[in-house]
Amino acid sequence: MPDERDPIPNPEGSGPAAPEPDRIEERESVGAPPPAAPGVPLTAEDVAGDDDAPAPAAPGEGYQIKLPVFEGPLDLLLFLIKKKKIEIHDIPISVITREYLVYLQDRLLIALDREAEFVLMAAILIYLKSQTLLPREQVADPNVEFRRRSFDHLLPIERIQAAAHLLRGREEEQSQIWTRSTLNAPLPDEDLDLVEVSLFDLAESFFTLMKRKQKENFRLVKGKEISLAEKTKEIVAALKAHGALDFLDFLWEQESLEDALVAFFCLLELIKARIVMAVQEQLFHTIKVWLRKEAPPGEAA
Amino acid sequence: MTDNLKSVIEALIFISVEPLTADRIKEALPDAGEAEIEEALRQLIDDYANGPQAIRVTPSVGGYVFATKPEYDAPVRALLQIERRKKLSAQALETLSAIAYHQPVTQAEIAAIRAVDSSHSLHTLLENKLIKIAGRKEAPGRPLIYRTTDKFLAYFGLNSIDDLPSAEELKKLMEEGNE
Repeated sequence: MPDERDPIPNPEGSGPAAPEPDRIEERESVGAPPPAAPGVPLTAEDVAGDDDAPAPAAPGEGYQIKLPVFEGPLDLLLFLIKKKKIEIHDIPISVITREYLVYLQDRLLIALDREAEFVLMAAILIYLKSQTLLPREQVADPNVEFRRRSFDHLLPIERIQAAAHLLRGREEEQSQIWTRSTLNAPLPDEDLDLVEVSLFDLAESFFTLMKRKQKENFRLVKGKEISLAEKTKEIVAALKAHGALDFLDFLWEQESLEDALVAFFCLLELIKARIVMAVQEQLFHTIKVWLRKEAPPGEAA
Repeated sequence: MTDNLKSVIEALIFISVEPLTADRIKEALPDAGEAEIEEALRQLIDDYANGPQAIRVTPSVGGYVFATKPEYDAPVRALLQIERRKKLSAQALETLSAIAYHQPVTQAEIAAIRAVDSSHSLHTLLENKLIKIAGRKEAPGRPLIYRTTDKFLAYFGLNSIDDLPSAEELKKLMEEGNE
């Protein structure tokens, strides 16, 4: 980890240069922590009023860092950097780590806990510095840019909500007003204004049903063969007896999924052969099945 | 003459189930002048609004139609066996306003206004025929564009889309609301 140089070149070229090797030679040995020199830019006293500040270590306890801009324990340095009281660019990390290694070598006894703490803090420091040195990714996403531009003309949501509020009032007002056209809608004409449904409507209904049936989780007992012809007869018989069938209900009442499937195919066949007719009384209503030969559906229902 | 014309127009509106437009009245009454018809219409609306009748002439979707006054809501519903009219959900209403003010508008634009996905609301509104798909935008991806329908106007008792308060009026309204 400790390197001769700051490993990461400064891409912006604005920060202070990596520490020059000769600067290290200039420094006195740090074998024993020197007493904090007065007149040093920032020391523990400067942050004494700060509650969050780590308790200043007693002099002589632990490893003290000595730099032109800072003197004191590493945790205090880290704290000051995080508080932006010290510019991290001014901290030559290679100096700190190298002098620390020298310090360790000179020690006879090593308090592992304390040194591990130092290593952790040094790692954090390196991480923080590397972050400031790396170029920031600031290339704007052209899509986002395009989007922002093309949506400039839109009204702010607050105004839309105000409009929605107004519309709610009108809705309330209008809900109490009735015209004759509303009278016509719910009451069917004499011949029942039926909508003959498409294959898609049928299939959609069927799949809704299948999904519901799936949840029932019944066991499959194999062995029973279901014949199309028999099922067809069954359906026609039921239609003759009841006049009309509710498409969904009928499939729902089938014993098993297989029965339902076969019944569905039979119905499709019957519709195709124009023996029965599948109709909806209104959009989104249930689908009814009628025999075509039957009397007018109005009576059958 | 105006009195007579008023009655004639009254008859025409009466037999119309859908809103009767001024243009169709003019077609039916080629001898009457445009200004005359408009004046008669105005008087007719006034007469009903202030009269003892249970119905009134309401401008709707660019025309005129007879409608019951709000105080007769309950008996009418009893007759029609309608419990209550369904209301639009807050989300659907917000989506609808966004469409009304920006139409023709794409789903992406609606999403940009509301900052939430609006596909469910769009589906509901399409199903209720309050909005319609009005083609595709000539833009990358050719997205579908949406417009409000005549049913939208009828639903909110609007004569035309211009009846909606303008963006400036909305702004004023919001400022008043904040005070």
